[in-house]
Amino acid sequence: MTPLERAEARFGWKLVAPTIVILGLLILYPLMYNVYLSFFDVQLNGSKTFVGLENYIKLLSNADYYSAIATTSLYLLGTVVGTTLLGLAMALLLRDPFMGRGLVNAAIMLPYVAPVISVVFGWQFLFDPISGVVNYLLVDLLGLWSERSNLIGDPDSALWVVVLFDIWKHAPIAYLLILSKLVSISRDQYEAAAIDGYGPVGRFFHVTLPELYFVLATVVLLRLIWNLNRFEDVYLLAPNVETLPIFTYYQAFTGVIDQGLAAATSVIQLGVLSIFIWFYIKKIMKW
Amino acid sequence: MKINRLSIGLVAASLPFCNLASATTVEYWTTQTQSDRLQTIEIMADVFEALNPGIDVKVIAVDENDMPKQIAAAAASDTLPDMIEVGSDLSLAFAEEGIVDAKSSTELIQTLGKQRFYAGALKLVESAALNEYVSVPYSGWVQGIWYRADWFKEAGLAPPTTWEAIEAAAKYFYKPSENQYGILIGTKADNYAEQCYTQFALSNDAGQFNKDGELIFNSEAQKEVLDFYTNLAQYNPPGPQSWRARDYYLQGKLAMFFYSSYILDDIALAEAAASSLSSENFKDLKGAAFDPNLAKNTRLATTITNTSPSSFGTLVGFTMMKNDNQEEVKATKAFIQYMNEKDQVVAYSHMAVGGHLPMLRDIAETDEFLNDPKGIFAQYGKQSIKEIVAGFDSIKNFSVVDGKTFPKSGEIFAKQIIPRMIYRAAIENEPTQSVLDWAEKQMQTVIAK
Repeated sequence: MTPLERAEARFGWKLVAPTIVILGLLILYPLMYNVYLSFFDVQLNGSKTFVGLENYIKLLSNADYYSAIATTSLYLLGTVVGTTLLGLAMALLLRDPFMGRGLVNAAIMLPYVAPVISVVFGWQFLFDPISGVVNYLLVDLLGLWSERSNLIGDPDSALWVVVLFDIWKHAPIAYLLILSKLVSISRDQYEAAAIDGYGPVGRFFHVTLPELYFVLATVVLLRLIWNLNRFEDVYLLAPNVETLPIFTYYQAFTGVIDQGLAAATSVIQLGVLSIFIWFYIKKIMKW
Repeated sequence: MKINRLSIGLVAASLPFCNLASATTVEYWTTQTQSDRLQTIEIMADVFEALNPGIDVKVIAVDENDMPKQIAAAAASDTLPDMIEVGSDLSLAFAEEGIVDAKSSTELIQTLGKQRFYAGALKLVESAALNEYVSVPYSGWVQGIWYRADWFKEAGLAPPTTWEAIEAAAKYFYKPSENQYGILIGTKADNYAEQCYTQFALSNDAGQFNKDGELIFNSEAQKEVLDFYTNLAQYNPPGPQSWRARDYYLQGKLAMFFYSSYILDDIALAEAAASSLSSENFKDLKGAAFDPNLAKNTRLATTITNTSPSSFGTLVGFTMMKNDNQEEVKATKAFIQYMNEKDQVVAYSHMAVGGHLPMLRDIAETDEFLNDPKGIFAQYGKQSIKEIVAGFDSIKNFSVVDGKTFPKSGEIFAKQIIPRMIYRAAIENEPTQSVLDWAEKQMQTVIAK
């Protein structure tokens, strides 16, 4: 390295130093402090007692923790597959311009931009077992069910209502991401494929899908990260669906807060998420 | 010259802020989140500020279920409020955590006159460990089963005051095909479920602690209660239910429901009932209309008996938090004293008629209190209201055993162990014994800390 290059490198470090310091303070410090707290029993008045791995042992020996992991896996599978497929289907249907496409786009985006609390109340009202429209339609009007049921409250169906809600609310963002890539695929490729004898299905698998590969992978990755940590939608709609964030909340934040245990839970969650992302990026997306 | 002018300007501009900075601020967290109630409290605080120049009262509304979390966050960041308005269970739990100024509360109770308070109310906020009161009792409500006396009469059923009578009536009125249900008890994992359950538990002498402070929750008597409660829950509307399902009673779809004296106005006044009736909110929907005869046809059974009679209520008090700033402590004490003057107590009580029964006996018996502006107490009779309030002389909950208070019970309450136990048994159909074992283990963890 010449003296000039060294000076440039030093100058470069000086330029990025403020950003590194700010990021360090905002991200690294809370992260490390969280790891530190996970080894303590923390009292509300600030006093801490070192308990070693006790918080981790308490967590990992709790059978409910594994049940929360199973619930989270089902939730992730349902929502990620659901939103991606629905987003892809909508994007394929609406890729070509037509009269009123702007309006249709706006309507599709509505669930995504509407405040979560208002749509949750709307859903709860629809599914209310006594006065709700769903029960009224299915029991009173169509007679498809013999008695009223509480789909949101019943633990057997609650998870699927929450999955459905998530697909409905978040498919628009998948649609938007996929559509933006879809409209940029060159017509020439389709014409070439048609000349090679591919029909609509063949063109989809040999042109559209390979082109969309990275967008779809991004959608899946983002949805996985978001939904692994998603709290508000699930808790507001059906607090009895114990995904990992809800489980953490009940364990650590119900009643008098248990900061040590909460920290241990989030450290494990962070670890799992990091491994997950690394595997996904290296092995599936091959970046 | 320019600099001088600028300095003078800056000093002049900062004068109002200097004035503000020198004022003592009393930060008061209330659980009254409804806008009309908050407004009433704000007005009372404004009058206090006008009478006490130099003191600012900052009223902040916090949802009652969020209070433990918010206090935890505030304690962690050293920004605790000066006073909070919470139930006795939480006051005891916070005192256990060492963040409550019990000495000031005790002094305040002495100043106001210990003999003026209902004895049971003081008992609920007394910490045996500290030999001090952790909160100044301010208001309370009693709970019971509200029921359709006209339906009971027509069916020839006895009032729901014993386990047998309650179960028989719930079964009789449960007609899901007609969208009518027998009873409403809490089965969602929240405070309401614990409130309903506690009354049944105490009516079967199934406590949490014995008089020596040992945990005796997982007992044969407790199993009987949980079995009975789970069985009764099958006559509920479908799925996990909470207090909000009281709307179904106002819509004429329920025979009985657990509720506090807060409900008095909702049953009696059309404008109060409006939010519970869909036809009032959505004109095009087929919903129930206000029933003007509902108050007349409704009765309250406050006592439930199995092995012994039990009545249940909750006491709310002003709890002062630990604070090194003596000026703020003095100002907070002055504000709590002001809130305990007759005009404020009556105004506070009348903003939720039946829900805020005063804890000072001499005020609870005055005509000013009994003549509420909407005439709701009059509909039920002044004597019966006096009797309801006097229940605070002998009010009980899990925290108090043979006159001794066990603050750990407050922590168990805050951890929502009983609500989650109820949910697992009634909704997830787990066997009652295994759920009781689970609850006992959770309680032991809380106690061991």
